[in-house]
Amino acid sequence: MVKKISENEFEQVRKDDIAVIDFSATWCGPCNMLAPVMEEVSEELGSKAAFYNVDVDENPHLREEFSIMNIPALVILKNGEKAGQQIGFMPKEGIMKFIEDTM
Amino acid sequence: MEKYDIAIIGTGPAGLSAALTAKLRGKNILLLGSRDLSKKVSKAQTVFNYLGLPEISGEGLAEAFMTHINALDIGITEDRVTTVYALGSNFVIQGSITYEADSVIVATGVNVSKPYKGELEFLGRGISYCATCDAPLYKGKTAAIVGFSKREENEAVFMAEVADKVMYFPMYNEEVSLPDTIEVINEEPVAVEGGIKAERLITKSGSYETDGIFFLRDKIPPSQLVPGLKMSDGHIEVDRGMKTNIAGCFACGDAVGQPYQYIKAAGEGNVAALSAVEFLAAR
Repeated sequence: MVKKISENEFEQVRKDDIAVIDFSATWCGPCNMLAPVMEEVSEELGSKAAFYNVDVDENPHLREEFSIMNIPALVILKNGEKAGQQIGFMPKEGIMKFIEDTM
Repeated sequence: MEKYDIAIIGTGPAGLSAALTAKLRGKNILLLGSRDLSKKVSKAQTVFNYLGLPEISGEGLAEAFMTHINALDIGITEDRVTTVYALGSNFVIQGSITYEADSVIVATGVNVSKPYKGELEFLGRGISYCATCDAPLYKGKTAAIVGFSKREENEAVFMAEVADKVMYFPMYNEEVSLPDTIEVINEEPVAVEGGIKAERLITKSGSYETDGIFFLRDKIPPSQLVPGLKMSDGHIEVDRGMKTNIAGCFACGDAVGQPYQYIKAAGEGNVAALSAVEFLAAR
């Protein structure tokens, strides 16, 4: 499952061993395409990583902190440290590979 | 939304030939491109090696193609595809509207324009190919748009509704007609510079600070058109069945590699369509 999360809950994300955060917005077409793909990926990799979704409009501080200028943006945090970033839509296989390679 | 069996992108010999075979196989097809077919075909002076049509002009060849597809009642949907999303069970094709298909054939030809220095390095970090997609992120910010055809002016207008400042660099000779809120700069870009993200566009005679740069070209490289598509030496990687690395996505013509010959493209279009038919039957 992909958990929708906001700025004031974000401290818990930093404590995860591996967190995969999908930065998106409701108006963004590619983001809406990626969302169901991320759900599928989270079903397969849910035991290895925690999956989140952050709306960039509702969470401007997180957007600034991670310098998000293009969305969708997938950010992987390892123990709270940024370990990887991938911009734009990718099919499921590509997303899985990106996450597994970064882990 | 109508769901097509096969969506074919491109109206050069590869795309048209694919459409022909798919139609003859009874598939519900969507052919996206231009009713002018392909500039590369119509502008050719004389073609000497197209089987059955000796010493034919490019215009004559285009006319023969058109007659053939008309005879089979194949329609052309005039739309420019910006992205093809491979969703696993189907494809969503984004043009001015969205289309849905079970399989896709990419026949978009070869991209001759080279990326600018720094463009690929900063792609996704301040460099984008779709202004309307990212515009809301530029609220209160500065955007530079490099437009390669007049129709990109609409994207600049859309961006100007959101961004604090928009600079527009026209890369064509037609007259630019944009509102005063957009600064038109007639200089040729040469590079993108920045740090963690793109910060400025360098032209032959100046340097422009910006939060983001948009390169809006006529032809979108296949790797951008179909995210996740595997490329090899600037072409789409395919096997003998014209299959790409994405299940249900096929490619043919100049887009998959040399030699850039009309008859080779047409032949590959035929193979791609038959592979797509086979793919659909196996599902």
